[in-house]
Amino acid sequence: MSDPDAIDCHAAADQLYEYLDGELSPTVESQIRAHLADCAPCFGLFDFEETYLRFLEARTRAQGAPAHLRRRILDELFQHPEQPPRS
Amino acid sequence: MSQPPSPDREGFEREALVHLDAVYRTALRLSGSPMEAEDLAQETMFKAFRGWHQYEAGTNAKAWLLTILRNTFINRYRRTKQRPEMVDITEIEPYTVFHDVQDASPAQTFFDRLVDDEVLRAIDALPEDFREVLVLSDVEGLTYAEIAASIEAPVGTVKSRLFRARQLLQRELYDYAVEAGYIEQRRDRP
Ligand SMILES: [Zn+2]
Repeated sequence: MSDPDAIDCHAAADQLYEYLDGELSPTVESQIRAHLADCAPCFGLFDFEETYLRFLEARTRAQGAPAHLRRRILDELFQHPEQPPRS
Repeated sequence: MSQPPSPDREGFEREALVHLDAVYRTALRLSGSPMEAEDLAQETMFKAFRGWHQYEAGTNAKAWLLTILRNTFINRYRRTKQRPEMVDITEIEPYTVFHDVQDASPAQTFFDRLVDDEVLRAIDALPEDFREVLVLSDVEGLTYAEIAASIEAPVGTVKSRLFRARQLLQRELYDYAVEAGYIEQRRDRP
């Protein structure tokens, strides 16, 4: 009955972030996907951590460079192209 | 020997300057100061312009720029490139707040209550080694291999630092959210 490729909760949790980051081989990834389909506690954990990572990205990327910085860099680099700036 | 050609304005804007926001943001997280961040971002772009011939077309230009930024930051503050692991912190038992949140408030509430500044402050309070990998991965989206190349460490080190950084930050944010009254504390915790 038992699938020789099946992994347990411990093995799944060990590879939690590698799974969410898309850093696993297709084989291991599908083993974990199979485990998550069968195991509600692990599914809940993975779902929570995925929400957490999306939340981090959403809360940290609004900040951009000030407009004057971009202008200054372009001016320095291309106003006098024969003399690249030495910083 | 003639200098290799510099990129034209259009090419440089399209390939490099398009990542100025990412470079500035990361400089801000590394240095903690908007003035320093502007300086670091500008120097990074100048170095990228001068070293354009070293950029391998088709590779991740953002990862390349963030590596230049890191080296610029290290040189400027005379930091050592390889820092010893901070034993006391890396030995902290990682601990997801998933179970606490599940038993008290819905997970969505926890994440929805926190605003940008609160999250950025918590990231800035992380130890430097952890902050660095978390920013490169979770803010800027670099792969493990790109981060490993950038910080000159093995992929295994990136994985373990990233794991601890995420769990440490999660715990900080959770404790903060409880303290601020955003969410209820799990009942059986002291
Ligand atoms: Zn399980």
